[in-house]
This record gives sequence, structure tokens and C-alpha cells, in this order.
Amino acid sequence: MKPGRLRAARISQLLFLLLFLVLFIQTEYRGSDRIALAVNSFFRVDPLVAAGYLLSEKSFTLLLLPALVLAGATLVLGRFFCGWICPLGTILDLITGRIRKRGPLRFLQGNFKYWLLLPLLFAAMFNVNLVGLLDPIAILVRALTFSLYPLFGDTVRQAWVGLYRVMGEGRDVLAPGYEILRDHLLPFRETFYPLAFLSFLLFLLILLLERYERRAWCRRLCPLGALLGLLARLSPLRRTPSALCDECGDCRGLCPTSFDRDTLREEECVRCLECRVGCRFNRVEFGFAGIGGGPYLPERRVILGGLVTGFLLARLFRFRSPDAQARLLRPPGVRDEGEFLKKCVRCGECMKVCLKNALYPALFQAGAEGVYTPLLIPRLGYCEYNCTLCGQVCPTGAIPDLPVEEKRREVMGKAALDRNHCLPFAKGTNCIVCEEHCPIPAKAIRTEAEQVVDASGRTFELRKPYVVDDLCTGCGICEHVCPLEGKSGIEVFAVRDRTPVREPDGTPYQ
Amino acid sequence: MDRRSFLKMLGLSSLFTNVLIRELCAAERPVVAIAEDRNFERGTLAAVNALGGMKRFVKPGDVVVVKPNIGWDRRPEQAATTHPQVVRTVAAEALRAGARKVKVFDRTCNDPRRCYASSGIEAALKGMKGVDVKHMEDERFRKVTLNGRTLREWELYDEALSADVFINVPIAKHHGLTGLTLGLKNIMGVMGGNRGFIHRSIDEALADINAVLKSRLTIIDATRILTANGPQGGNPRDVKVLNKVIASSDIVAADAYATTLFGLKPEDISTTVAAYRRGLGEMNLSRIRLLKA
Repeated sequence: MKPGRLRAARISQLLFLLLFLVLFIQTEYRGSDRIALAVNSFFRVDPLVAAGYLLSEKSFTLLLLPALVLAGATLVLGRFFCGWICPLGTILDLITGRIRKRGPLRFLQGNFKYWLLLPLLFAAMFNVNLVGLLDPIAILVRALTFSLYPLFGDTVRQAWVGLYRVMGEGRDVLAPGYEILRDHLLPFRETFYPLAFLSFLLFLLILLLERYERRAWCRRLCPLGALLGLLARLSPLRRTPSALCDECGDCRGLCPTSFDRDTLREEECVRCLECRVGCRFNRVEFGFAGIGGGPYLPERRVILGGLVTGFLLARLFRFRSPDAQARLLRPPGVRDEGEFLKKCVRCGECMKVCLKNALYPALFQAGAEGVYTPLLIPRLGYCEYNCTLCGQVCPTGAIPDLPVEEKRREVMGKAALDRNHCLPFAKGTNCIVCEEHCPIPAKAIRTEAEQVVDASGRTFELRKPYVVDDLCTGCGICEHVCPLEGKSGIEVFAVRDRTPVREPDGTPYQ
Repeated sequence: MDRRSFLKMLGLSSLFTNVLIRELCAAERPVVAIAEDRNFERGTLAAVNALGGMKRFVKPGDVVVVKPNIGWDRRPEQAATTHPQVVRTVAAEALRAGARKVKVFDRTCNDPRRCYASSGIEAALKGMKGVDVKHMEDERFRKVTLNGRTLREWELYDEALSADVFINVPIAKHHGLTGLTLGLKNIMGVMGGNRGFIHRSIDEALADINAVLKSRLTIIDATRILTANGPQGGNPRDVKVLNKVIASSDIVAADAYATTLFGLKPEDISTTVAAYRRGLGEMNLSRIRLLKA
């Protein structure tokens, strides 16, 4: 490459990486009820996400249209997404220059990536949609959401708190600067997520693979890359010469993905045009030619193997612990668990955006196939009555984007009092913090007054709470604010019937 | 009288100081100003001016904390939070009286960002030079020894404690436990820690806090009141528009009068009664001078 000149592909990569990071930071409440643009845009153009959705849900939604457009473009232009857009690929390109190479890992070569892609796709066909687990955008968003962004936020915040310890109220002179940072860059509050380490580790492993060859993840493992590669085989856009030239062979060094053999592999070429720019003889050209020959699909045994593995993947992890099920609270608007699992990308966006940090990635509460799906944990945060952000950012509509009037009535679970812990029942003292916080205008938690005598013989009015099931949405604010330490005196439990509650004025939901 | 009997007298009389002080105060009855105006800015101004104007409370160079109720993610017309125009007028008056800085904050129950936005208070104060609408920060709560009846100590907000003037600007509304929430209860917005804990003996606890963190001026927003399903409300049927603003330097007196707007008597609200018994102010309407502004 000529020094000092940025190639078009590199400029595009950097712009898309910047866009990705800006959208990621924008995926947060910043004073407006609606988020115009969020990082979900990247998932909506992601054909792997679309494939998983189509195969498992077996229906179409307009949200997937951009992904189909990208798939169509890939059919014509090849894997340009990987060389021009993918933020993970860009990060790899940015760091790979500093990492000395050891040579490719042998066991990753050949059909390895199809052994990842095909079981994922076939499992989706058998109703278990796990593509998001290995989708590169999802891996990146999860690493950011669960580990790097909280780490960043917490570090800045701790420094800010540290300043207060040193300067006291004198810190206020610095407040304007901090407030700009807080309002535009930082997460509003520090949240620590389960699976933070695992999410980081997966990302780190992908970076560490650069030790073996350039873009090792992209050419050997990435299921999105593999899927795009399958489409790219049909691309009429071809490089000439299609093989290394006898007298030069520089392309082998210039090419980030394709020239591990002597001929260019169409399904690996990311159209970065590095070879064209770097060619000493100005011999390399990309132009539209006829569709090339050669097999379009991996070998039959890989396909059959993928089918069997996908089947096993879909059927062998169906155990559910009833204890975990009882507390399996999903975001608002999710009415059917099975349908939700089929649509959820496990990208972590809902958890990132959740106003009260109520959503956390599941470990095994929803079974092995539910790992990374969002769970409401009321003791840590509750679902804010007037907030609809999770539905807005969900890339596939697994959490529906509902108008606020509808979302307020959506049922996530039902609260139940634990009289062994709840203060008025267990200790005979007044409390009603849960009643006070219940956001339902007609109050899903009410109290009944009773004259009681306390230990010192004084008669007083004790207010005992009870839950009105017909009005309770399971938002979890009662459990969240219960002043008991540790275990709450009121808890939200999952329910199968999630028919929305009545309108605030009492009319039943239509 | 020799020294011994003087000291005896002094010792004995201290037993009656509460009563004595009250009797002394009776001579100069606490004033509660009540303004009624559809224009809330004018109403607020009238109430404050009836007490002698903001200059009586704020001296030039003072740091003033204006503490509205921004507790819930509700809109002004839902009457769960102090009306933005009332807050704005109070802040503007404090500035006019020479305040160096006016700080406005509340420890909210719902998400603070949403509460600040939905209440309209953030927007109403935006762009006012010298007024800071601040999000509260955990590290700024500090343990304060209260030596009260129920609370020995509690975490209170440093900016509320260090302010030269603390102006309490609650909204008058229904509350499930205390009957009503007015000025005395509005002080909970500067409490840190597990606030729900004090609900078990809330009347004494609130008196404990109010005894330490005194409201120089209490301005109760009764422009519209929430008559049921408080403190959050949400149903417009529970809202009653009164167009009233109540102001007093005596927080108990202000609360006592505001109680009557709900058709209740001051002694119905145990928070008011507890504060009165502790000598924090006057609750007998007969001993309060009501000033129609």
C-alpha cells in the first residue's frame, strides 16, 4: 500500500466502526422517550440474524428487510460486508499489525466454520435459534455491554467519587465537564452483569487468534462470514488474475483472507482491494464476469453432519429447572416464551438500554438454549412504568415495540407477598413502601387497616398490604423497593397467562 | 432573689420551656400566606410577598437549595410532583433576592432522568443562570447524628446541609401511610440509605430529620392536589385543581393549613402532630395567622 494514503475500504471501515460505537452509546435513555437510531441497525442488516429468525420463526417481518438487501448485495458483490463494514473485522484489522504471526492453526482449516454455521442454522430450523451466540456483531455488542462499557463507566465514576473524597464540595467546579461526559458518553449508572467475564473472554479469544494469521476469526470461524461466503460464491464480481502470479506472489502477503492457497477463494475475498492497490504491475482488476464454476455448497457429509448436530443441539438441552422457571421474568410485551426464544438474538441491547438496569443475561435459568436471553431481576431493578426502550431497540421484535399505553398494561408476572417476611405481617409494624411505589393508578397493591396492639400495649392502626392480581403487571418495583434486607417481602413470579391488565379507568383490555 | 433560687427557678422553668416558648410565640403567631391565582407564577409570588418577600429569607450571596417533590415519573397535570412554574418562580425569586446559586434536586423514587423530564421541572429551569438542576450522587450523602426519638443517625445530602437557605417546595397530595404528604414528608428527598425503613415509625422519624434540617421557608404547591391513590396517582379523576399556593416560615403551620384543603383537620395527620409535639412549629389553626395574599 502506498504510504500515507488511506484506501476507500479502510475509510469505510473506520466510519462504520465509528457509527457502530456512536449507535452503541446512543442505545441509552438520553432524555427522550424514543431512541431514533440504535445499534440494532447493525443487527437488522445482519443476514445471519435474519436466517436464524426465518428458519426458526418460519415467518417474515419487515424488520428483516435490510438484511435481505445485504444478502442480495453480497450475491452480486461478494463478502464486501466483512472488508468494508463489519466493526469486529475492523477492530481485527486495526490490531493485527502489532501481532506477530505463528502460522495458521491446522484444525481450524477446511470445513471447520461450516461445522459452526450449519448446526446453528439447522438447530434454528428445529426451533432453537442460537445464531446470535456466535454472530460477530452480537459478540462485540455483548463484550461492550456486559464488560467493557460498565468497566469504562465504573472507572470514570470511581475517579469522580475519588475526587469528592479529596475535594468535597469543591469538586463542583469540575462538574460541568463531568456532566457532559455523563450525559453523552457514560452509562447513567454502574451495572455489573453476570457473564461479563465470559463475554469479554470470547471477544479476547477472537483477538488472540490474530496470533496465528490475519483475520483468523473471519476466515476460519465466523458463521456470518461463512454464510456471506456461501452467497459470495455466486458473485459475478471476479478478480483477475484469479491466482498468484508466478513471478511475484505479493498477493499472498497483501490479502487478509483468501490467499492461503495459490488461487483466490471467492468465498473468502472480502473485497478490500488491498491486492489491487498493492500490485507492482497494476495487473490486478476486479470486474464483472460470468458466474464461476465449482461447488456452491460444502460437501454433503458436512451438510448431513450439520443437520444431525443441529438436531441434537435443538433436542438435547430441553431440561428446565422449575425453580428457575418460577422466576423467569421476561421483558414487557413478551407473552410466549417459545416464540421469544426463537426471535431473540441474545445481542444484549435490551439489557444495555434498560432504564433501571432491570434486565440481565440469563445463565441457565431459561435452559441451556436461553443463555444470554434477557431476564428481569426485580431485586436489582424494576420495569419503569412509562418506559418502552427495550422494545424499541430489539432488532427482531422479540420484545415488541409497543406504544406506552399498551406497554403499561403488559404482564411480566404477578407479585405475591411473603407473610413470613413482610413487615406488617411478620413484625407487626407499618411499612407499605410497596403500595406507595406501585405505579398502577388504581393500585395493584392495596392495604387494609386493622387495629392492633403493639408490644408496649399501645393500640395503633396497622396497614396490611394485599395484591390485586387483575391489576398487577409484575413490573417488580414492589420487590425492588421492599425495605427488607436481602430477601424481599414481596416477590414477582412468572405466569403463563400474560393477558394485559385493564385500562387505568377499569375497562378491560381489548 | 439569691443565686441559688435563681438557678432553681431556671432549672424548673426549663421543664416548661416548650410550653413557654409556645406561649411566647402565641404572642407572635406564625403566619401562613395563602394565594389563589390561576396563574401559578403570580400565585407563588403573591404568597411569598405576603410573608415579606424572598429578601426576608435569602441574603445576597447565599447558596439556596430549593427542594421540590420530583419523586415520580408523572406529568404536572397528574399532581404527583411540584408544579414546574411554582419551582421556577421560587428559584427566580431567590436569584432576585441575591442568591449566589440556587440548587434544585430530589432523590426520586422512579428513574431520576425520567422524573426530572416528566415533571417539567428540568425544562422549566433550563437556561436560568445561577440555577442548577442536579442529579443526586450517592457519595454525597453523609452520616449525620440526629439523636432523635427513633433515628440516632441517618445519611443526609451534603448540599442540603451546607446550603445557607433550604426552601421546601412540596406538592400537597394523598399518601397511603401518612394520610397526606406535605412539607414535613418532602424532607425525605434529601435522605440517603434505605428510606423505606423509616416507614415503621415515620412520624417520629420525619420529626427527627426536620429538627436537624430546617426549612427556612415552606411553599406548598396546592395549585392542584392529589386526593387519592397517592403519592403517585396517575388517574386524572383523583386530581383537584385549587390554584392555591401556601407559604410559611413555619413548616408545621404550613402543613396544618394545607391539611384543611383535603377536608381534614391538622390532628388527623400524625406527621404534623408529631412535629408539633416536638416543638417544630404550630399546628393549631386558631394560633396561626392566615393571610390571604
